[in-house]
Amino acid sequence: MADDSTGKGPGTTKLQFAPFCSALEAGFWHQLTQKKLNDYRLDESPKSIKGYYYNGDPVGLPTRLTLEFSAFEVDGPTPLRCCTATGILYNTNTLEAFRSIDKKALLDKEACEIWKEIQSGAALQNPSILNKFILLTFADLKKYHFYYWFCFPVLCFSEGIPIIQEPVSLNLKFSAKQISGLQEAYDNLCSTNNTTAVPYFLVKYSEEEVRVAPIHEWEAFFTDFKTVTVGVYDPCTLAQHPGWPLRNFLILIASKWGAQLDVVEVLCFRDRTLQGTRSVQHSIIFQVKLPDLSASTGCPKSVGWEKNQKGAMGPRSVNLSECMDPKRLAESSVDLNLKLMRWRLVPTLDLDKVVSTKCLLLGAGTLGCNVARTLMGWGVRHITFVDNAKISYSNPVRQPLYEFDDCLAGGKSKALAAVERLRKIFPGVNAEGFNMSIPMPGHPVNFSEVTLEQARRDVEQLEALISSHDVVFLLMDTRESRWLPTVLAASQRKLVVNAALGFDTFVVMRHGLKRPRGESAESSPSSSCTSASSSSIPGMPSLPGASLFSNIPGHRLGCYFCNDVVAPGDSTRDRTLDQQCTVSRPGLAMIAGALAVEMMVSILQHPEGGYAVASSSDDRMNEPPTSLGLVPHQIRGFLARFDNVLPASLAFDKCTACSPIVLDHYEREGFQFLSKVFNSSHSFLEDLTGLTLLHQETQAAESAGVRPQQDSSLTNKTLEKFLRLWESPTSVLPPCPSGAV
Amino acid sequence: MSADTALPAASCYLDEETFRLSCGLFLEHSHSLNDGWTWEMFSGSEKEGYMKKTVMVPCRLSSTPCQRRVVDDTDGLAEDEQLSDQDESAGELPGAEGQAVLRYEYHVLYSCSYQIPILYFRASTLEGRSLSLEEVWKNVHPNYQQRLRQGPWDTITQQEHPLLGQPFFMLHPCKTEEFMRPALETAHAKRMGVNYIVTWLSVVGPVVGLDVPLSYALAVGAPVPGTSASASAAASTAASAAASTSASAPD
Repeated sequence: MADDSTGKGPGTTKLQFAPFCSALEAGFWHQLTQKKLNDYRLDESPKSIKGYYYNGDPVGLPTRLTLEFSAFEVDGPTPLRCCTATGILYNTNTLEAFRSIDKKALLDKEACEIWKEIQSGAALQNPSILNKFILLTFADLKKYHFYYWFCFPVLCFSEGIPIIQEPVSLNLKFSAKQISGLQEAYDNLCSTNNTTAVPYFLVKYSEEEVRVAPIHEWEAFFTDFKTVTVGVYDPCTLAQHPGWPLRNFLILIASKWGAQLDVVEVLCFRDRTLQGTRSVQHSIIFQVKLPDLSASTGCPKSVGWEKNQKGAMGPRSVNLSECMDPKRLAESSVDLNLKLMRWRLVPTLDLDKVVSTKCLLLGAGTLGCNVARTLMGWGVRHITFVDNAKISYSNPVRQPLYEFDDCLAGGKSKALAAVERLRKIFPGVNAEGFNMSIPMPGHPVNFSEVTLEQARRDVEQLEALISSHDVVFLLMDTRESRWLPTVLAASQRKLVVNAALGFDTFVVMRHGLKRPRGESAESSPSSSCTSASSSSIPGMPSLPGASLFSNIPGHRLGCYFCNDVVAPGDSTRDRTLDQQCTVSRPGLAMIAGALAVEMMVSILQHPEGGYAVASSSDDRMNEPPTSLGLVPHQIRGFLARFDNVLPASLAFDKCTACSPIVLDHYEREGFQFLSKVFNSSHSFLEDLTGLTLLHQETQAAESAGVRPQQDSSLTNKTLEKFLRLWESPTSVLPPCPSGAV
Repeated sequence: MSADTALPAASCYLDEETFRLSCGLFLEHSHSLNDGWTWEMFSGSEKEGYMKKTVMVPCRLSSTPCQRRVVDDTDGLAEDEQLSDQDESAGELPGAEGQAVLRYEYHVLYSCSYQIPILYFRASTLEGRSLSLEEVWKNVHPNYQQRLRQGPWDTITQQEHPLLGQPFFMLHPCKTEEFMRPALETAHAKRMGVNYIVTWLSVVGPVVGLDVPLSYALAVGAPVPGTSASASAAASTAASAAASTSASAPD
């Protein structure tokens, strides 16, 4: 026998039992959590539970005692062909109580209980009470950590159990006829007991027949007491060892009939079905000499606490936060749901690129709220809001992150309330809010040292925010507030997605992404144009033969201000309320907000990102550049016609925001330059960029009545065409769109 | 769809009544095989329930994930000195602990929205910790991984179990039609009654390690529906075909 070395005493091998291994279903922990929260609360008193074991496992599986969802329904059904074990649950309120509870005393108490039931004969009538267990638990429901320790109490023979005849497979001892006889007799016993498994039974066999009986029929069943055969429903699959349930049964036999018995033959009944074929012939059978316990009155020594995974005598623990913590569940569900999109429809979709993008939302109004929600839908985790407004009563119906209560008592800060709501929607979000103003051209900051200092801090804050994010969304309600972030983002080479609303028109656009510094010199058309002194339309003529709006690479695309011929100023001055606070059709912000995010996602899917060539409406029939389709420069929508167009336009070398001269001044002079812009009228930027000169030249040419030269007439026509595109009555002119507040 | 041809069209959809009847026949055969499938009633209602099977599988990965993620702060939970002598001379077979086993649980539920059965499953360690999808994949034999990831049913997602409210993985039903249609049409053309559950489960089961013995296909037939049942089945099929944008009408 392979296990000789572990046997005790010379010449005699002692029987060794495979202990139970606790097996818990996730459903058990869910149910324990529910019980603890709803029923037990602080009640630490022992509770009755139950588990079961099975004797049909294939070889190689450990002998398990399983507790599932139904463990708390003590009177509930046991799974088919399984035997029940009844247990006592001690759920402590603290880890300290779990640790300090007297385990030896718990074990002794249960062992004495078993001993008493053996003595009283109760165990004969209901032998399943020989299989008891204790479960000690502590549930840390804040972390979803569970600590537990099982005990399967068994009584011991102090000197062990000597083996008389080594275990052998039943088919070596029984004929095929005897095996099928045993199977039939066992099935009959089960059906007589109205069950599908019997834990213990008595066996008598001859060449001709096999009979089995319940153990309370011992006296009538066995006439000859010298050698008896008993059967045990055995969950163990080892060829040389019985499982744990035999132990207390042998104690019972030794206590009841130990005086008369010489040798006990044990049939470890194993009953499995593989691919539809039932087999019991791999059951094992052996003989032991039972010490006599009939004279002893005191409860024998007991053992049974389960070892932990390290093989040490200690408790086990399990961290179920991933399957029980609702926040973790939400995160994994969101991610898996997005992955589904990749599996099914867009196999090459790079989700990580989207999910890991850090988004800065300047403006937390109608557009900001809708952009944030769409970003969350894409699984974007890092969302930062900047806004200086408070939530007013008119906001919640259009701004889906706010509620009526947020308007009370003067209204909460939008940036902070938006963050709060995002966390409620999805706790996995990494959101932050900044209640701050963005300094604007034509809105002086030099009233006092204090206001100047504040403006300086705001600029620094905004610079830092743009630098720590990947994409900047311009979602404010005025044109001039977009100027500073446009300059800062252009200087930092950050992708900008801009959305602006009219009444029933909108523009969603990406700003051209300037080439990284150092690369800009080589054949960059914008740099060659800045030096051009001609009054031709900037940026365009240097591309001979190229269609005006096609194949513009990302670094040559315009920004929000490139199409303007006036610098941003105070757009709210001298305007009536309805002009200041543009009213837009309520669906517009949702459409534009959603498009802004979808545009960002498409850009991110392009291998060149923000440098991607702009797709135009003409590309709608062509092979799309990304797995998600086109990467336009602008989407201009006309709700009245339910129509979108995809124009693209070049960066303007006299742009008041992204032209080299403006970026140059900002990069050299910093806040000093910016404050000049804030404090001056719009002529400052117009003078700087050369717009003033352009105006003068145009006027002079017109008033002189001189027919323009050939190529300048071409460019003038181009300019007209260019402007007409924006100036159709329903379109949003870049100078005027403003988000509805 | 052409309901007026000689044979009513083979449908990829299943009404709830046929689902239950088909499961009933499936379970009958399972009992005769002792294959371990059971019908789990939900909140005592015979009608609302699901087929369930639990399978224990030796863990392919020796240490992870089966024994990992033990809670770290077990400082105070070291060995109990008082009990550490219990296995001496106690007749306990040493070294039996720590065998790595995973429990796979399979549930077959009816989906009213898709009108087809859906396979839910989860895998867990003996401590009750559910495996992540990555861990489940790691336990799939490498020979199969490649093929399964490319298969038409590589659409496992996490979803709350509709009846238990616990997190499960499920094979998304969006591809069911793709493989059920040819199977059902072939059977239909040969006027063979096939059991939807058997055909369907023998395709989707192996993807997640669930074997369906061949004898099911031989022994389990289609349920014989009452006339009213079949009428409602046809009606619901028509409705779903019309409602579903992805489904082309069966010819």
